[in-house]
Amino acid sequence: MVFINEKMNKESRLKATINQRLTELGERERLKELLRAKLTECGWKDQMKAHCKEVIREKGLEHVTVEDLVVEITPKGRALVPDSVKKELLQRIRAFLAQHAA
Amino acid sequence: MKMEDMPLSGPDNTKLEALVNDIYSELVEDACLGLCFEVHRAVKQGYFFLDETDQESMKEFEIVDQPGVDIFGQVYNQWKNKECECPNCKRLIAASRFAPHLEKCLGMGRNSSRIANRRLASNNNTSKSESDQEDNDDLNDNDWSYGAEKRGDQNSPRRSKTLKHKNGKWVRNLHPYNYNAGINYEMLGPDEVRSFLTTQCGVISEHTKKMCTRSQRCPQHTDEQRMAVRVFLLGPSAPVLPEADSVAGPESFDIPDGQALMSRLQWEDSPEISPSDSASSKASEETSGSPFPIKLRTDKEPISVSLTGTNHSDSRRPKKKKRPPLGLNSGGGIGSLSGGGGSGGSQTNISLSTKKKKPKLTAPSISSIYDDLN
Repeated sequence: MVFINEKMNKESRLKATINQRLTELGERERLKELLRAKLTECGWKDQMKAHCKEVIREKGLEHVTVEDLVVEITPKGRALVPDSVKKELLQRIRAFLAQHAA
Repeated sequence: MKMEDMPLSGPDNTKLEALVNDIYSELVEDACLGLCFEVHRAVKQGYFFLDETDQESMKEFEIVDQPGVDIFGQVYNQWKNKECECPNCKRLIAASRFAPHLEKCLGMGRNSSRIANRRLASNNNTSKSESDQEDNDDLNDNDWSYGAEKRGDQNSPRRSKTLKHKNGKWVRNLHPYNYNAGINYEMLGPDEVRSFLTTQCGVISEHTKKMCTRSQRCPQHTDEQRMAVRVFLLGPSAPVLPEADSVAGPESFDIPDGQALMSRLQWEDSPEISPSDSASSKASEETSGSPFPIKLRTDKEPISVSLTGTNHSDSRRPKKKKRPPLGLNSGGGIGSLSGGGGSGGSQTNISLSTKKKKPKLTAPSISSIYDDLN
């Protein structure tokens, strides 16, 4: 048990370190911007907005809450990300890790 | 590159991959949340549905996504393939080239007369540059040729010569471009002729059939000549010249040749006038200071005498040209000569009446030059 915990600790430590590095070096922001731009480019954002309109019409304009939207939008949004965008982002993250973690 | 193709050790590899995926998921979720907040704010602030209108307008301005049209549904370059028939030359011209073609075809654009002149000049030049060398020599002896600057034929074989040997003496040719200083009226279309005549002298030389390309106030020709040319070329309804009377009557010379027909069309049209002439009255200019003798011919051919006494290449191609049947113009020309010069300009006798203070040439000297030439 201890062994597993240690392993898990190691992992979480690694993860924490990585996250910290990402933020410190500004890579996280850059990745965020890159993703946003790519999603807008490929039309993902318009698609999602159209879906939002449906949800709003469903729930009623006055009563829609953030939670409603989040619940409706997030799973669909995750699924609708194009493969090319996903691949590119994964590649960049890996590159970062290879450079700063290994 | 697939996610599994990572050059890392086994267990670490998957963990690293998992880490990468985690980070990726975080980023995507962040993006989604951002969108949710944006939309929610828009809804609550009331501008979320602003880009929507009534159904009808929505349908009308819907984005078009068909091949061959843009997103508005318009066809790109639909006039490209259309052809129009030119009313002038009856040819089929592409639509985008139609306007410039019409300009040239009708001779009415800004550049059309210029281009036509240049074209004819180069045609004449190339066709004549191989011919009679001696005649061209005479032309080249003339220094003062303003008009020739317009038609500098860069490829002419005579271009670089500045010294020529003629008649036993070296003659300086300061302006190598002064041959071919005229336009052949037969080669111009009616519209081109009209536009040409509105800006230039146009008096036709008898033996070269070329129109004088100097300005409307060219001192070699009188206004009567110009008017006669216009009447001849454009019909009786020819437009009136800008100035009705010549500034100064042209000079006329005593020519001991019985055939001195001062037909307007016989006037040499090569623009050879000394630079100093432009300031003073043109007609009576005797090429003051001109170092060249006047070339007058005593051939059987009609005389083309430069009234102004310039070194007109009057003897240009003396052997080739015949007198064209232009009786009307002849009369007019002579009349103008007489009127202008104040001399009794008869066909055979032209008296010298110069208004200039320095009469360089007198009859005797002229005849001597004659002899020289002959």
